[in-house]
Amino acid sequence: MFCLPALALYGLFVVVPLVTAFYYGLFRWEGIRQAEFVGLGNYGEVLTRYPLSEEIPTALWHNVLFFVGTMAIQNTIGLGLAVLLYRNPRGKRFFQTVFSLPYLISPLIVGYIWSLLLSPAFGPVNFILRTVGLESWARPWLGEPDTALPVLILVNAWQWVGGPMLIFLAALGGIPRELEEAAAMDGASAFRTFWSVRFPLLMPAVGVITVLTFIGCFNIFDLVYALGGSDGGPGGAMDVLGLLYYRTAFEGGTNAIGESSALAMMIFACVFGVSVVLERFLRRREVTL
Amino acid sequence: MFRTRRNVVAALGLLTIGLTACAPSAPESGAPSGAAQEITLDVWGWRQEDVAAYEKIFKIYEDAHPGVKVKYVPYKSTEYDTILRTGLADANGPDVAQLRSYGLLQPLVAAGSLVPLDGEVKELSAFPETVLDGARGVSDKRVYGVPFAIQTLHVIYNKTLFDKHGIAPPATWQEMTAAFDKLAAADVIPLAATVTDTWMLPIQQEIFGATTYGGQDYLKRMLAGEAKFTDRPWVDSLTTWKGTSKYWGPQFAGTSYTDAQALFTSGKAAMFPGGIWELAAFAKADPHLQLGIFNVPAAPGAAVTKTLVPGFVDGSFGASAKTPDKAAALDLIRWMASAEFGQAFSKELRQISAVPDVAPADPLLAQALTAYTADPSPYVTYAYFSGGTPTAWDLASESLSKFVLGRSTAQEAAKHVQQGVDQWFKPTQ
Amino acid sequence: MTGPVAQVRRRRLPGLAAQLMLWIYAAIAFGPLVLVALGSFRSNADILQRPVGLPDSLDLGNYLRAWETASVSTYFTNSILVTVGAVALCVAVSATAAYALSRWRFPGRALLAAFFLSGLMIPAKLGLLPVFYMFQSMGLIDTRLGLILLYAASGVPFSIFVIMGFMRGLPTELEEAARLDGAGEGRLFVSVALPLMRPALAVVTVFQFAPTWNDFFYPLVLLRSSDRYTIPVGLTRFFGEFATDRAALFAGLVIALVPLALIFAFATRQIISGLTAGMSR
Repeated sequence: MFCLPALALYGLFVVVPLVTAFYYGLFRWEGIRQAEFVGLGNYGEVLTRYPLSEEIPTALWHNVLFFVGTMAIQNTIGLGLAVLLYRNPRGKRFFQTVFSLPYLISPLIVGYIWSLLLSPAFGPVNFILRTVGLESWARPWLGEPDTALPVLILVNAWQWVGGPMLIFLAALGGIPRELEEAAAMDGASAFRTFWSVRFPLLMPAVGVITVLTFIGCFNIFDLVYALGGSDGGPGGAMDVLGLLYYRTAFEGGTNAIGESSALAMMIFACVFGVSVVLERFLRRREVTL
Repeated sequence: MFRTRRNVVAALGLLTIGLTACAPSAPESGAPSGAAQEITLDVWGWRQEDVAAYEKIFKIYEDAHPGVKVKYVPYKSTEYDTILRTGLADANGPDVAQLRSYGLLQPLVAAGSLVPLDGEVKELSAFPETVLDGARGVSDKRVYGVPFAIQTLHVIYNKTLFDKHGIAPPATWQEMTAAFDKLAAADVIPLAATVTDTWMLPIQQEIFGATTYGGQDYLKRMLAGEAKFTDRPWVDSLTTWKGTSKYWGPQFAGTSYTDAQALFTSGKAAMFPGGIWELAAFAKADPHLQLGIFNVPAAPGAAVTKTLVPGFVDGSFGASAKTPDKAAALDLIRWMASAEFGQAFSKELRQISAVPDVAPADPLLAQALTAYTADPSPYVTYAYFSGGTPTAWDLASESLSKFVLGRSTAQEAAKHVQQGVDQWFKPTQ
Repeated sequence: MTGPVAQVRRRRLPGLAAQLMLWIYAAIAFGPLVLVALGSFRSNADILQRPVGLPDSLDLGNYLRAWETASVSTYFTNSILVTVGAVALCVAVSATAAYALSRWRFPGRALLAAFFLSGLMIPAKLGLLPVFYMFQSMGLIDTRLGLILLYAASGVPFSIFVIMGFMRGLPTELEEAARLDGAGEGRLFVSVALPLMRPALAVVTVFQFAPTWNDFFYPLVLLRSSDRYTIPVGLTRFFGEFATDRAALFAGLVIALVPLALIFAFATRQIISGLTAGMSR
């Protein structure tokens, strides 16, 4: 059977560990020794114990903000660049390469580079702002709770913008020119042509990108870790679910395995559930359009 | 318990095959290694910058014990706890491991990953009880490691800058703030304070705030349940500490640990509040740096009138319960409790050895140790309220970050710590 | 909103404004990397005094220090081994499975496909602890094979998703003709279907390669010996050691980035055309 190797690999290394995590979550642990069965006790513990009980909603909210911000910034810029490149094919390959280059760098290194660049005392960003007379704009970007999350969104967008750009560019290439020419002949402005003719045809691409962005945003770990450490930056302003899981699992106490497994299951249920709904919803939209 | 487990197993059906296969198992590691064979002991640790020094130290042991090789295997400090916790679970892990102290040690004790050392290492009886506290299991009161270093907390200063601006180590709080003002006026950042790496915040709070809440005496009352983090003295100690923030330089909110180190070593800042372990790093960054240390004099309205020197046990060396060379590992650990090791440790690593009666050759270390012995003060959140989850240290790191960024009041920050600790802490009567 | 606005402008100032915007973004995308590259030639003290600046001379001391400490060549070999192994394995099993799922009719087909595709939405990292204990019981801890299997497995859902999508858009006539000629399923797959799916395989390879190459979480926990470290893990170690030496750090970063940049420069054509083919079906 052709499916067997893939099934074995995927089942053993992806599905079984998740089921095992569920199983682990039902027990109390003493370090790495499994103690008694506690049913959903770990879930209760994670949801009610201060300060975890407050950190979970905060982290979830940051993930949501991160997703919304990324959709608004990264994917809009990606679309914009794709349209520009589609209309101006001169140097297209060069720009494509340059725009996608950051994608090849490990998020950990990206975070590292940017935290060096944004350092208030020695970072070039503030130095440049001061040099060009924008002294008042210079601030401790990653140190202030108000700017930390927006900076995270921007840095993440800087790295991944090539993805949506390439997908949009490919989708644009798939739209027949005649459609647009017909609209232009009818006297529609370029702006109108774009919105009424081209954008609807990009909907499948938008759908794919939305789902991928959602999954990416809710799995984010490396970059936040590199930018703000495992505590999630200043006053926890960048704390996200991935970090929370990391802290419970690897900086937790004696029952870390039990509690982190319970938390993992909750995150999994949340991400998986929303992704499925989102996918369904976008697919339906796609059909009606 | 067995029945419960069987039920679950039955309920999960087929999947159990996979599950039991991957449950953490304890493979028997028997087979004593032949005497003729060469034994290699892996010593895991979190000090990547110390590899060369440990090589020299262990060379002494290797020379005296032919047939034994000792290898220091360092991991990144921030990931070490994870790696060690999992590494101790199998025989391919470390034979001897550098262990964190106090609360961070407890998961390893609970898992039975370590060999209890009472009875095995006689030399431990010479160590003071307060030092052994750092290597003790909270649940069973047994000692699991030989403490290797005592870390003391100070204000480290740049002597050249002090001389240039005519400043001497201050004897009173007023003298200290006057010195800060003088430096600030001369465009030197007085204090290179770490802000974004939150683990440094409770350290700075002890450095500047210890006198305000009173150190050891207050800790005793806290442990007995007579005083709380939310009581006036401890809350005020936060305010005392934050009161120095106007001397932390422009945009201090973004200063990371390495930024602060760079500010100090590059001469942009005159002082660095931190642990004595920084000396080695500073000397490495700039060997010509003239360093001095002082401790913060009693703050106005402080609970005590003398200067306090906060300190704690940094960590210890313990033996993995899974090591195939247990006898050799224990022998190495016994050596780590000896004066020979203590002296080599102090010399090569420029740290204060925890071995009793080992006097550091380095004058600054000697000064630190003398000061600490005379007026010791505890590192309360790290050392004493870390035996449960959440630890006071984690809670304090979070809440002090919010506090110092102006996102909460001192009262709220203290409440965060108390509320978290209240969930598990039982006062000793 | 850059898109539409840019379009309106483009009509008025043909090409120029658009070119300008493209160049501006190129500077944003590339600038930070240039700063890192410049910094790698300067002295640490100089960087601390003036964060932005040109190197005084072509000082290779930083590179020497970085190279001596970090065994980059070892890390590099490991990364290549693990990444190539994982991506090849992943593409091979996914291609066969996706072929079967999209061309054969058998009971449970839809369910099986859904099972695979649901993996797209699984945050696989959450299974790290169980994976660790599983590896321990299978003797896969501290092995490159373990990493290869793990990465290949976590890439399966995405690969099947892409290849299946691509197959759906392919006509089946060729395969039917071959089947009429009496070709067995195995032959059919290798000589007819596989060449047809090449563009999709290219997309999958590209999309799996970079994340696998860059991952640091799994090797951090699952590897022990430094001679098996991949580049990202080796680098974290290097960061720890050179925390205050920015010049050496920059040099280390450049050393780590160069191989990828080279691969990218040589393979851009393939990568972009693979992507375009994959997405425009």
